[in-house]
Amino acid sequence: MQAPFSFSIAGQQLWLSPSRVIYWENEQTLILSDSHFGKTGHFRKAGIAIPQQVYQTDLQRLFSLLQYFQPQRLVIVGDFFHSTINKEAQLFARWRHDHAHIRMDLVKGNHDILDPSWYAGNDIALHHSLLCMGPFGFIHEFDASPGGCEYYFSGHLHPGVVMQGMGRQHLLLPCFYFSPHYAILPAFGGFTGLARVRPVKEDNVFVIAEHQILSLQ
Amino acid sequence: MKGSPGYDTIIEWLTAKDFRPFGFQEEAWTAIAQGESGLVNAPTGYGKTYSVFLGSVIRYINEHPGDFRSRRPDALQLLWVTPLRALAKDIARAMEEALQELGIPWKVGIRNGDTTPAERQRQRNRLPEILIITPESLHLLLAQKDYPRNLRSVNLVAIDEWHELLGSKRGVQVELALSRIVALRPDTPPAIFGISATVGNLEQAMEVLLFPLGGKGSIIRATLPKKMEILSVYPDEIEKYPWAGHLGIKLVDKIIPIIRESRTTLVFINTRGMTERWYQAILDAAPDLAGAIAIHHGSIEQELRIWVEEALHAGTLKVVVCTASLDLGVDFRPVETVIQVGSPKGVARFLQRAGRSGHQPGATSRIWFLPTHSLELVEAAALQEAIQENLIESRPPQMRCFDVLLQYCCTLAVSEGFDPDSLFHEVRSTHCYQDLSEDEWQWLTAFLHKGGKALQQYDDYNKLEWIDDRFRITSRRMAMRHRLHIGTIVSDAMLKVRFVTGGYIGIIEEYFISRLEPGDVFTLAGKNLELVMIKDMTVLVRKSNSRKSIVPSWNGGRMPLSANLGKMLRRQFNEAGALNSNSKRELRVLEPLFSLQSELSHVPRADELLIEQIETRDGFHLFVFPFEGRLVHEAMAAILAWRISKIRPITFSFAMNDYGFELLSDQPIPVDDTNVYALFSPEDLYLDIQRSVNSTEMARRKFRDIAVIGGLIFQGMPGEHKKARHLQASASLLFNVFREYDPDNLLLRQAYQEVFDQQMEEVRLRDMLERIQQSRIVLTFPDRLTPFCFPVKVDSLREELSSEKLEDRIRKMQLQLAR
Repeated sequence: MQAPFSFSIAGQQLWLSPSRVIYWENEQTLILSDSHFGKTGHFRKAGIAIPQQVYQTDLQRLFSLLQYFQPQRLVIVGDFFHSTINKEAQLFARWRHDHAHIRMDLVKGNHDILDPSWYAGNDIALHHSLLCMGPFGFIHEFDASPGGCEYYFSGHLHPGVVMQGMGRQHLLLPCFYFSPHYAILPAFGGFTGLARVRPVKEDNVFVIAEHQILSLQ
Repeated sequence: MKGSPGYDTIIEWLTAKDFRPFGFQEEAWTAIAQGESGLVNAPTGYGKTYSVFLGSVIRYINEHPGDFRSRRPDALQLLWVTPLRALAKDIARAMEEALQELGIPWKVGIRNGDTTPAERQRQRNRLPEILIITPESLHLLLAQKDYPRNLRSVNLVAIDEWHELLGSKRGVQVELALSRIVALRPDTPPAIFGISATVGNLEQAMEVLLFPLGGKGSIIRATLPKKMEILSVYPDEIEKYPWAGHLGIKLVDKIIPIIRESRTTLVFINTRGMTERWYQAILDAAPDLAGAIAIHHGSIEQELRIWVEEALHAGTLKVVVCTASLDLGVDFRPVETVIQVGSPKGVARFLQRAGRSGHQPGATSRIWFLPTHSLELVEAAALQEAIQENLIESRPPQMRCFDVLLQYCCTLAVSEGFDPDSLFHEVRSTHCYQDLSEDEWQWLTAFLHKGGKALQQYDDYNKLEWIDDRFRITSRRMAMRHRLHIGTIVSDAMLKVRFVTGGYIGIIEEYFISRLEPGDVFTLAGKNLELVMIKDMTVLVRKSNSRKSIVPSWNGGRMPLSANLGKMLRRQFNEAGALNSNSKRELRVLEPLFSLQSELSHVPRADELLIEQIETRDGFHLFVFPFEGRLVHEAMAAILAWRISKIRPITFSFAMNDYGFELLSDQPIPVDDTNVYALFSPEDLYLDIQRSVNSTEMARRKFRDIAVIGGLIFQGMPGEHKKARHLQASASLLFNVFREYDPDNLLLRQAYQEVFDQQMEEVRLRDMLERIQQSRIVLTFPDRLTPFCFPVKVDSLREELSSEKLEDRIRKMQLQLAR
């Protein structure tokens, strides 16, 4: 496990991990977004043979992160499961059973369309639009006035930023994106793409360069 | 054959019309009447259709001398495969006319994307005697349950315009369909006849087509001289810094007199975007042409295209601005003159376009070459010489296309199912898959059946099923989806463009429109249109009077220079270094450019390789000029970048055009006369090819088409965009996933193989490096950009290669902020 990067906001201590999660030390909570579990299965059901190792690796990565940070609670900021139910959900259920002591919260994203009973059966607390914890609010897609909290965490976009250098060099890299009022988390899932975001001066951007976090601003 | 009832009937009919057959036609008739296979090589406008079609009629009459006028055979006799829908109607019309006059009660049917469902149903119940079909529709036919019954009766399969299909994946589709049709009647297979314009590898062209029959047949050549006049349009002043696309439009005044003097003129433009601009420019320069000018390209509404084609036929248009969409096909007899704007990049294409004029036997084809930048005049000179020496490009056939094979397996699984063992042997009877190994075949069928790497009990993979000893697709949904995806032409996602008030204008690439904001004005089909909004895959627009407009830049249309033309080009530059009054005019007018080039740097002779090193605000540039064409330059740039990056950690971006390539870095590039020969050494070439391909994006680009053809990209079904959204993934993401989790996937390997075969061809690279070792490498250090390097530098398509640590690169870079 690569060392996480220390960053604090709203008086809270955060650790940004190149494995695409944030550990919130004050609340012993692991935060991630857009895991899109079951996506490989969804494609395979339609006859498109995406290797399932992608999903297996994602689960293993989540397992090692839990080992490393030992959190009490896991907050997922939406798009946890990719689509309708499939057998890959059973693999998650088995995994969940082995980590029953961790409290799990899901803020619903546009992809989270499973039957509510499935979440209940796997002991996942479902929040329809907003979850508030101390100074932080969690919401899948940030809009101007979600209300009440000091600072927000969102997902949905799968953010990436473009770096430019001399000699007309370009790089598009996944990132943690912190604007003055809200953050956008990188997509956790291995079978996800990147959407370009354009930061402004006031923003803090941390790019994920393979196994490292680099602060840009 | 002479004296046979069929021959006599045909001759009688022709004589009554005051026609006499050409020698090559009689030769083809003889072969076809005897049930032989082969290939007819004839230019358009010489009755090549009749050479094959009437052969099939003669054979039928000879077999049914008593009742050929009174009885219908009631089964498909002749299958006519054509690459272009637009051709089908004209061919059908000509055939129907002949059959009617001969009193033969055959029906002629057309099957392509435009065929109505009602007509399809009629054909399904009772196929006509002649069916004119595109390769895609032929595969759709193979996806129908009763195809063996319909296709078993065919006596002759004709492949029209085979040179257009050969070398593409559509050609592979034809190969596969032929192997299936031949296998339906293994003891008495139908004959196969190709019809092709001249290509460098005509023997091979025939062999590929006849491969399932053993590859043997006769080539029948029409030895008819075609007179051709090639002329260049010269700019009044030579710009010393040639910039692609910059010059062309300025020369519009020079072509107005050419248009006026000729009955009908076709203006060929290399990209669709530029056709829009030229259409406007011609109208601005000669407003009186309004009503007599039209535009024709692949993105224009079909009805309008058909109208243009018919107006051309009738001779009511004075000028048509077009793209490759009019390369083929229908006899446009009124066309007297062709203007080629910009380099055609190949001898064969230039000849084909020239041949669009003077379409009658014996007439002269007249073609004008109009350069879009001044250096292209050198290409004009090279073209003339190549045509004189009859240096026509080969079309190497595609080999081992796993993507097309996967698609084909599903096609058969949808209809009759397939037995993997017998299909393996059948597929190996094609030229494309002759070397397919048993292991590869196992992998391919398992990929479709089991879905590659899976977590056994947690898997829902579903595609091919094993039922009654055959692989089948039984889900109606999946079958329907497969039928919609049959084909090998991959284009960007296209959106329809309509007026808000209704009225269809054409289609446009999603990629282009996604970069526009509502209110922006763009040009399509010669109209200035303001974007209102995008709704349900439709772009809604209104008419705009704005003078400022964005012209769509279509991604296609950037053809690389052929090897033949490259060789001729080097020869022209050799001459350019020693101009005299005997030199070609195209070279003489460029004298000011060449003298600036030699003042700042050097004009390389045929036995020299020029390398320029220049420092600008952008960084450190290294320009190399091998004159081998864009594709080879991309490969060479990657290999050179790889080799230099072993000297020290360094990052390059590189760009190329047909004359040379550029490596650009943020630090000085360690190339000088102590190491330059070693950097161009043929030693370790094979390994360096592998490594440089792995560290660039070339394979990723190839993978896009492969993923679509191989069925990995879900393009959605009409009317269910929402559901489809959860099944969308970009080719680039799939490429990443396979590379990381399934590196042995054959589709992924095919992407690399296509780069090796089509760009990194080891033999050609080795020849080139050996040529460089024998030549003098001239290193110059100009203090500013030279006429040669300028057009490479302004080219925006760039690749990257790096040996630096990602972290180190990022530390030197800047975050790009919003405007």
